[in-house]
Amino acid sequence: MFDPYYLQQLAIGLSLGMTYALMAIGFTLIFGVLNVVNFAHGEIYTLGAFAGLVLISATAPPIVAVILGALAIGALAGFSLERIAFKPFRRFTDEASLKSRAMRESTLLSSLAVSIVVREALEIVFGSQMRSVPFEYLINTPVRVGPVILVTGDFIIFGVAAAMLIGLQYLLTRTRVGLAIRAVSNNPLGAKYVGIDTDRTIITTFVVGSMMGAAAGILMGLYYGAVFPAMGFTPGIKAFVAMVMGGLSSIPGAVICALILGISESMATTFVSSGWSDMVAYGFLILTLIFFPNGLFGARRERV
Amino acid sequence: MNAFENAAPADGLTRRRGLLVPALILLLVFAALPALLAGFDKGYFYQIANLALIFVLLSASMHLVTGVAGLLHLGHAAFYGVGAYTAALLTSKLGLGFTVTLPLSGLVAALVAFLVALPTMRLVSIYFAVATLAIGQMLYLVMLNWVDFTKGPNGVIVSKGFELFGFSLSGRLGAYYTVAAVVTLSVIAIGRLSHSYYGNALRSIREDDQCADAMGVSTVRLKMEAFTLSAFFAGIAGSLWAHMTGYISPGDFKFSESILILAMVVVGGLGSLPGAVIGALLLILLPEGLRALGDFRNIMVGLVMFLSILLLPKGLLGEVSALRLVRRQLGAAWRNTGPANGKGEGIGWR
Repeated sequence: MFDPYYLQQLAIGLSLGMTYALMAIGFTLIFGVLNVVNFAHGEIYTLGAFAGLVLISATAPPIVAVILGALAIGALAGFSLERIAFKPFRRFTDEASLKSRAMRESTLLSSLAVSIVVREALEIVFGSQMRSVPFEYLINTPVRVGPVILVTGDFIIFGVAAAMLIGLQYLLTRTRVGLAIRAVSNNPLGAKYVGIDTDRTIITTFVVGSMMGAAAGILMGLYYGAVFPAMGFTPGIKAFVAMVMGGLSSIPGAVICALILGISESMATTFVSSGWSDMVAYGFLILTLIFFPNGLFGARRERV
Repeated sequence: MNAFENAAPADGLTRRRGLLVPALILLLVFAALPALLAGFDKGYFYQIANLALIFVLLSASMHLVTGVAGLLHLGHAAFYGVGAYTAALLTSKLGLGFTVTLPLSGLVAALVAFLVALPTMRLVSIYFAVATLAIGQMLYLVMLNWVDFTKGPNGVIVSKGFELFGFSLSGRLGAYYTVAAVVTLSVIAIGRLSHSYYGNALRSIREDDQCADAMGVSTVRLKMEAFTLSAFFAGIAGSLWAHMTGYISPGDFKFSESILILAMVVVGGLGSLPGAVIGALLLILLPEGLRALGDFRNIMVGLVMFLSILLLPKGLLGEVSALRLVRRQLGAAWRNTGPANGKGEGIGWR
């Protein structure tokens, strides 16, 4: 009935989409839910991957320890990122400057500048070449499922992404921390008036989101077996596209759109050479911005 | 002894002083620098001078769209690339010279910008920024992957240097003068454009687009015009680059170049043309001067950008001080008129 080739292509697309989703979850938490323009998430992802690599090459610990190390670095990076690139621009807490465009754009530029510095620093320390992950840590042992072949990493990534998604949804909708995050994103000044520590809430969100970003980075490093300073750029763009398609504030929406994106890309490589497949993401982004300005699953927000 | 009599000499004085700075700059660009370059007589110095001038033009063209019209543009290098590829392909496939390719690359870049602006101009702030990023990356992918037409990652060799209606200007000094003349004329054009009624309309969009719309300013149309014009000048810069280096490849026009140009505008001060020029000179010449730092030059771009956002939110030469400078230079539109204003209180925008 189905050509196994297309089934295999679909499976590849799903696993590609899963990798995008992994990145998109943390990104959407900071960018979409908290509504802070953050362009440095890709570098958090790279930092997580490099932290894992350094741990592996230094002490060769069990894989769980590697991931825990990456998480710790991610938390630290998220904390410092917020302190360095975002806190200084929240000097003024009156309503006008909180809502002003200039402030949002200055955090965009400052996070962009920080991401350049981090990427170039990594390039100086580790070189711009790809560094390969030791063979025994790779998570790409093939597994045959019916007519298609998957690798163990696909299942791990699926599990981690699902756990992150469910955990975050629980955090956001069922806990006081989540309530505070949503309150701050909705109206920072109002949140302050009712006694929420906005600074601490923002820090918490950054730390949680960045831990997820770093976990995504190290998992991708183990999955593809290569770690390099510019590795965060493309997934960052893909995660952004998934987030915008999903409607910014909706994490499940972002995950579904990441899957759509992955499947579309792998299907596109059937027809055109793989160099063109990035075009799909950019095309989706433009089309979404033009035709579905509220995203496919999102709530209404001013955008055009 | 009334105010009117006092006003006249003061006005004359400011005007005489007003002509001094541009005259000095022109003297520097067209006499002192070439003499210095000829004195050293090293190809490398000519390259740096030309590169700095080309980036001055890129930064000035971005100033028009990001500084004046307030549209955060993250794909500017792609239009620079479109211009460069137009010049290179016209030269290598049709054998056309610089005289023809220069205006054509500007026009092709402007046309591409117009076409991509049609759907995206309704977007605001961050969504516009990301849409331009996507457009820039798409154009870059076309340059990289359309191997039959653009030769892909191998790049294109541009066999012809600078010429004007058949007169060859391909010597080192000739090339420098060509680049300097084109860049100076373009920067003057951008300066006149951004300090006119037209520039004010663009500024009103930057400050509050809804309000501007309500006042009868056609915001979407003006945004498109600013975007297209800036792409035109970026295309001109691309043509200069293609004929100067004789070889272009997609790597010259990737995302990091867009960020470099953005950093120039931000460091110089958003909305200020002299700032954009100084920012470009700073970010090109400083890394060259600090060659010893080697790999640290890119990190410096990020650091300079970050520190200038943090410590100098208005940039090196913020718009207010830049306006004062321009008022002195282009006195006419802001000259005090009549005795009532003899105290030197300008009437501002007329």
